[in-house]
Amino acid sequence: MSPILATLLQGIFILAVAPFAMGLVRLCKARLQGRLGASPLLPYYTFATLFKKQMVISNATSWIFRAVPFVVLSTSVILAFVLPLLFVGGKLASLSDFLFVAGILMIGSIFLVLGGLDTGSAFGGMGSSREMTIAALVEPTIIMVFVAMSFVSGTFAIDGMIGGQLISSHPYLILSIFAFFLATLAENARYPLDNPATHLELTMVHEAMILEYSGTYLAMLEYASAIKLTIFSILLASFIFPASVFAAAGLGFSSMILAFLFGILKVVVMMGLLALLESTIVKMRFYRIQEFMSVAFFTALAGMLVSLFSSSIHMKMEYHTIFGALAVFFVVLLFGRARSFAMVRYYALSSLSIAGVALGLSFIYPDEKEHLWIFALVTILIKVILVPYVINYVQKNFKDFIKAPSFLKPTSSYFVIVAILGVTLFVMKHTPIVGIVSFDALLYVSIALIGIGLATMIIHRNILSQILGLLIMENGVTVFTLVTVKSLPLLIELGVFVIIVASAFILSVLGLRIREFHGSSDTEELRSLTE
Amino acid sequence: MTPIITIILLLIASACAFFLKKEKQILLSSLVAAFLGSFSVFAISLPVLFGFSHYWNDGFWLLDGFSALMASMVAFLYLTASIVSYRYIGKEFEEKKISLADLKLYFSLLHIFALCMILTVVANNSLLLWMTLEGTTLSSTFLVGLYRKKTSAEAAWKYIIICSTGISLGLLGVLLFGYGTSLGGVEGGGMFTLTSLFRNAHLISPEIVKWAFIFIFIGFGAKLGLVPMHIWLADAHSNAPSPISGLFSGILLNIALYGIIRFRFITDLALGNSDWSSRLFLFFGFVSIIVPAFMMLVQKNYKRMLAYSSVEHMGIITFALALSPLGAIAAVIHMIGHTLTKSALFFGAGEILLSYQTTQTAKVKGLLKKAPYTAILFLFGILAIIALPPSVLFVSEYTIFTAAFAMHPILSLFIFLALSVIAYSMLKSTIDMFFPAKEDEQQPQQKEKWNVSHWVMAVQLLLVVGLTFFLSSGSGFSFVDSIAKDAIYISK
Repeated sequence: MSPILATLLQGIFILAVAPFAMGLVRLCKARLQGRLGASPLLPYYTFATLFKKQMVISNATSWIFRAVPFVVLSTSVILAFVLPLLFVGGKLASLSDFLFVAGILMIGSIFLVLGGLDTGSAFGGMGSSREMTIAALVEPTIIMVFVAMSFVSGTFAIDGMIGGQLISSHPYLILSIFAFFLATLAENARYPLDNPATHLELTMVHEAMILEYSGTYLAMLEYASAIKLTIFSILLASFIFPASVFAAAGLGFSSMILAFLFGILKVVVMMGLLALLESTIVKMRFYRIQEFMSVAFFTALAGMLVSLFSSSIHMKMEYHTIFGALAVFFVVLLFGRARSFAMVRYYALSSLSIAGVALGLSFIYPDEKEHLWIFALVTILIKVILVPYVINYVQKNFKDFIKAPSFLKPTSSYFVIVAILGVTLFVMKHTPIVGIVSFDALLYVSIALIGIGLATMIIHRNILSQILGLLIMENGVTVFTLVTVKSLPLLIELGVFVIIVASAFILSVLGLRIREFHGSSDTEELRSLTE
Repeated sequence: MTPIITIILLLIASACAFFLKKEKQILLSSLVAAFLGSFSVFAISLPVLFGFSHYWNDGFWLLDGFSALMASMVAFLYLTASIVSYRYIGKEFEEKKISLADLKLYFSLLHIFALCMILTVVANNSLLLWMTLEGTTLSSTFLVGLYRKKTSAEAAWKYIIICSTGISLGLLGVLLFGYGTSLGGVEGGGMFTLTSLFRNAHLISPEIVKWAFIFIFIGFGAKLGLVPMHIWLADAHSNAPSPISGLFSGILLNIALYGIIRFRFITDLALGNSDWSSRLFLFFGFVSIIVPAFMMLVQKNYKRMLAYSSVEHMGIITFALALSPLGAIAAVIHMIGHTLTKSALFFGAGEILLSYQTTQTAKVKGLLKKAPYTAILFLFGILAIIALPPSVLFVSEYTIFTAAFAMHPILSLFIFLALSVIAYSMLKSTIDMFFPAKEDEQQPQQKEKWNVSHWVMAVQLLLVVGLTFFLSSGSGFSFVDSIAKDAIYISK
């Protein structure tokens, strides 16, 4: 099948499926909220009706008002034809250079903003200024995501980035994918940045800009946003599962049908997940989007730096290294926190990363696979779910379990962490044992975890920090087990886990009693037995 | 000959204490269970100890001379502590100092605690040893924090934090030993079995062995109470109920040392001689004798005084282990003697606490008039613990100094001075308790009755004296030598 045909078919498919996608999101959200919801084919009728309606256009507008719907719709349509959504290597594939794509998106955004400003209404101006803020913050993230992928795949075209099987061999791209997911939410005006179904003007961002449009123009703008949503979701799904996108050249009729089916499947799954997400989280207040965008920015930055690092030094990064680094990262975050729920949550995330380390190791040692998988599963059950539950349950009556500060302010705590990590690296480089044990990175992770756990116990003055410090140390010993012995007999592992849960429980109960007797959870008060 | 019967018995005992409703039933059932449990352990260990059965091991359990000795001591102390608990906890419950819930918690945890201790000394799998050692810490935390007081909670907190941290570090050492053998070609279960580690020690690279033993020494040493990891010991041993303090000082510290000794044997086999590990033992043992000497001079609490004396005696045993092979024999004799004497002292301290309701030495006056039996037995205990003949500790310390003055004269001089200081302070505190204050109070004193605690103390002190005569003879000496020979030091 020729590339021209592939590109045409892909474009037509996207244009046809877009309203269905939008309707599907609304249906899933309705079902999750306990309503029946309208049929997913309703948007087709809506657009058809809107196209036939008469438009009402204010006298105070200029030519821009009339140009905006055409520009915005054409940018979306161009992207539908250019990006590798169903087929890779279509005729226009060379146009899918990521700067070009980012530029097209920008043109669409700019004209939409101008359209909101053009009428001179208050709400339009408000929507435009909000949209410009979001766009300014999301643009660097998108660029960095694609830069990271271009380092890995060696090409600037998005077509080439999907063509290579990236994720399985470069696990750090998960960071970039996560950042791209957050940027998708921002670009398409979904939760938690914007509510596409709101009727309250003060909560609108995207809707405020198209408030003055009616009839055909409104249909074009809504159709454009539906197409953009479909494109982004299929692109995200293709990044995660690049095997579902077929090469355009040399395809038969059956593969074409298969590609269409895959396309529909991706749309359905992504829209379902989007509906689930929108039903679970709340829309943020506008001034808090900078936190959201900074998370996206830093994740994209981390992914870009790691891919730059690994491509220039030709170091192979394995899954277990990434998860090990994540485990240390979460513990570092825990060290600077002062709220009990946040600290316990970071501990749970760090334990989840350790389960990920075990999974990563199971790819390297296929004969120990079941052992490592069982270990990962039990780790998740016990350390991610049970232990935090036990700790939170015991101290649920004392929500202010953390009131006493640590010896150090947060900034100096981070200096201490950096010092510990540096000293660990130095010690490891100079002791002869390092050459004997394989997996230097994991050994470093385990020693760093033990060191940080000890520091948490000593430096932080409150009871929960000492409990968490002990648990972090035991996590470090667990990673050490994975490094050296790979897997212990099942009975012993179960015994170790029982011991960990029992210690967490006993420590929490004791901590509670101390808090009852002493009135605070400051361990400086535990000084009555001195000499 | 597996300890499975003991496991079942003690688990049933703990469940009984948990489920029975009335205090008398719980006390009686625990007493009966203690008798049955300790006799079941005696049935396994005494034949091995006295040479009637051969040394025996399988994948999980190891029963050689050293294990048999430790198991017998644990069982004996469990028995005596249960008898004393019957009286002590029963009396405290009558005086409404503890509630029924606390009583049930005490007895159910006591049996689990004893079970973990017994399993630690007969374990062959090093990970099982580690697990049961951690189990002793976990099960005894609430025993330490039994009373609803500020100081109890603080003592229990320090205990569990420091001991759990230490034992986690110890796990690193155990794993390194296993990893070292796996590098040498041993596979599967052999990596973690003590007997296979003994056989294959020469395959482990010296670097790994040194790191592994350092982790184990520091980790288990925190549980042992070596300076500077001893800060929990005085608090925990003085705030726990007296029978538990007796168990702690008497046998739990010895069990931590048992773990260190087993791994030290592997280290020595791997390194070829015991010079490197002896240096570690020497340093920490020496420091652990000197520091309590300073602390002892300012003690105002007689239970804390006894706890610091435990630190000092563990220091002496550690120091002795640095002087193998004569020191190893002395260490074993000292372990036996310290177990019997210190637990008797703590049981006596419990009696004093029951009479006077305070642990401050300054407030205990006129002990000789008020509680003559306790006073005399306590005095004999103190005389035994400061190694006056005919105490068996005299035999062991004499042996240690014979070896030490030859190898490390200056250190021995300092230790001698420290021991003298300790002897002086302990005697002074004790004698101060005996006589009434200057104002002659003529209160109608109740005549103290001779009860089970006194029986227990008397039996233990008689054993101490009897063992002196046995162990200072030739046959006793060779008996201990046969225990220590290929478990503690390498025979040439």
